[in-house]
Amino acid sequence: MSLSFADPQLLWLTPLAALPLLGGVLRRSAFPSLASVPVDGLSRLISLALTFTAVATIGSTALALAGPRRGGELVEKIGDGAETALLIDRSGSMNETFAGRPPEGGEESKANAARRVLQDYVRRRQHDRFGVVGFSTSPIRMLPLTDKMDAVLGAVAAIDRPGLDYTDIGRGLATALSLLSEDAGQSSRVLLLVSDGAAVIDPKVQQTLRTTFARTRVNLYWLFLRTANSTGISDTPKPGEDTPQAMPERHLDIFFKSLKIPYKAFEVENPGAVEAAVAEIGRLETHPIVYRERLPTEDLTGFFAALALLSSLALVAAKIFEAGLFTSSLPLGLPEAARPSRRRAA
Amino acid sequence: MTIEARFPRRETLRDGRFWLLCAIVLLLAASFGLPSFRSKANGVDLLVVVDITGSMNTRDYSESGHPVSRLEHVKASLRAILPDLPCPARVGLAIFTERQPFLLFEPIDVCGAFAPVDGAIAGLDWRMAWEGDSHIASGLYRAIDMAHEVNADLVFFTDGQEAPPLPASGGPEFTGERGAVKGLIVGTGGFALSPIPKFDAEGREIGFYGVNDVPHENRFGPPPADAEQREGYNPRNAPFGSAAAAGTEHLSSVREPYLKALGDKTGLGFIRLEDPPALLKAILAEARPHPVERERPLRPFALGLALILLVALYGVPPLWNRLKQLRADRFSTLAIWRKSRA
Repeated sequence: MSLSFADPQLLWLTPLAALPLLGGVLRRSAFPSLASVPVDGLSRLISLALTFTAVATIGSTALALAGPRRGGELVEKIGDGAETALLIDRSGSMNETFAGRPPEGGEESKANAARRVLQDYVRRRQHDRFGVVGFSTSPIRMLPLTDKMDAVLGAVAAIDRPGLDYTDIGRGLATALSLLSEDAGQSSRVLLLVSDGAAVIDPKVQQTLRTTFARTRVNLYWLFLRTANSTGISDTPKPGEDTPQAMPERHLDIFFKSLKIPYKAFEVENPGAVEAAVAEIGRLETHPIVYRERLPTEDLTGFFAALALLSSLALVAAKIFEAGLFTSSLPLGLPEAARPSRRRAA
Repeated sequence: MTIEARFPRRETLRDGRFWLLCAIVLLLAASFGLPSFRSKANGVDLLVVVDITGSMNTRDYSESGHPVSRLEHVKASLRAILPDLPCPARVGLAIFTERQPFLLFEPIDVCGAFAPVDGAIAGLDWRMAWEGDSHIASGLYRAIDMAHEVNADLVFFTDGQEAPPLPASGGPEFTGERGAVKGLIVGTGGFALSPIPKFDAEGREIGFYGVNDVPHENRFGPPPADAEQREGYNPRNAPFGSAAAAGTEHLSSVREPYLKALGDKTGLGFIRLEDPPALLKAILAEARPHPVERERPLRPFALGLALILLVALYGVPPLWNRLKQLRADRFSTLAIWRKSRA
């Protein structure tokens, strides 16, 4: 439980609550000497109570103005989810259809399909934190890891814009890994690579990647959007053609398998299969994750305003029942009796 | 002998403080029943495009006494103004090199998702560039199209240095509708020429670009009109003259006249980047008004008025009495002093 304020700077007004200590709202009466009035405990008490009520009125009005509220803390909860880096191929070929043509009519390009399916995936994974990296000739950090779904959807929405030139998958992987390793949490980490091709990874970069993969502990998924008539992961090599240059996809797959990390490749050749593959990733990734959730806040303005209203009503009541030393019924204003008034001096 | 008197007494009814208290009670009570009123607030929709080409690495800004590159200064300025944008502030981010902007994310509300936008700006790096050329005019025109697509105002950060230089026939023409997309070109860089840092394939800095590292003249297209006066001119074999072009393209400064001309052509405003407050002011001045209806409760006004009345009720009389007392004291002191003189 914590009290916070919408406009804390308005709390500077609360010291005004001390004003009633300077004097009250009741009329003053001239009286020769207070010493001639016997001490009256009840009068004292009422005078004190009125001062306190006035302090409470000003104080709670000022507090109500500052917008007090309760709750809103972050609490840690455990649910299903992961920290996911989406590594997305932004090479020009992603804007073609699975048949390898520019989309025409109602056809969907590979990037369109990836965007649609990933948006669904992000929406369903309420507790995941997502980061997005695009890669073509160079890796581009599009969005750091975040739990703000609007931001993730904004970045995923940008992936079917016209792509760039080439596919440098090695540096893309390194960037996605660095994105994941920035967060030192204990949650499970997922690297989801979406590409329509692969490229040769420089042996030097391969070595760096090996150590980084080992250190970061990620589950790797490769959603390979295969274009018709292109080389694939599962092709059997013709004799003499089993080189990374001729069959980059097969060799990337071999490289991933050699990392000895949880890894699964999905070779899909139409938009429907993309959905099935992403659904399966969703099923596989059900590890506990500690996520933070904000408790709902409760607005306490009404409470303080009510407090101010009640105490101001008490003040009005006191004012209504205010008598005086000299009652107005006597035309000359002569002292009617020398008894002490309850509201003798404010 | 007691007189049965009715309350409130006549004096009470004649007492202004009583009525003031009643007004306070009414205001406090009203604060519970007041409806909200609708007010219009202006949010912003921005597409921020940042030039990340090589010349943006030129260190001709300084922050707290240290030289910083244009790109770093752009990032720092953007991050400084981000919290001050009026909500709802939708901001999209794109980077620019070669001849097209690359969208990192579509506009998202910074007021709801500050950390990722701030983090993405902090993560901008010249290493993201996919090519070294910077065809500023083409990039700007495409950025204008992109801003139109995502329905946002454009804020385009660049130093205006075309690399390679524009051909003699001039840059590409703007074919869009002038002023259809509002926004601002933000010129970055100093007015003096500064060396551009050079990096190797591994991204390590290895000095600065030399005079022979970059082309100083674009020799595509027809030669300029004065080519005939050049040394060694030959219409067929040396239409640009025989001498290698010399120039200062290996050094960089903000190309303000060029950017202003581009701004005129496209209907965008121009400002040279200096400090964040000026940038924010310029952005808000250029941005399309984007009214958003907001429900604003009247309660704070009722409460505030009640507080003012309360302060008047309890603060003014003691102050008044004290002043009266002071005056009375002064007069009596004066009187005593006079009497003593007499």
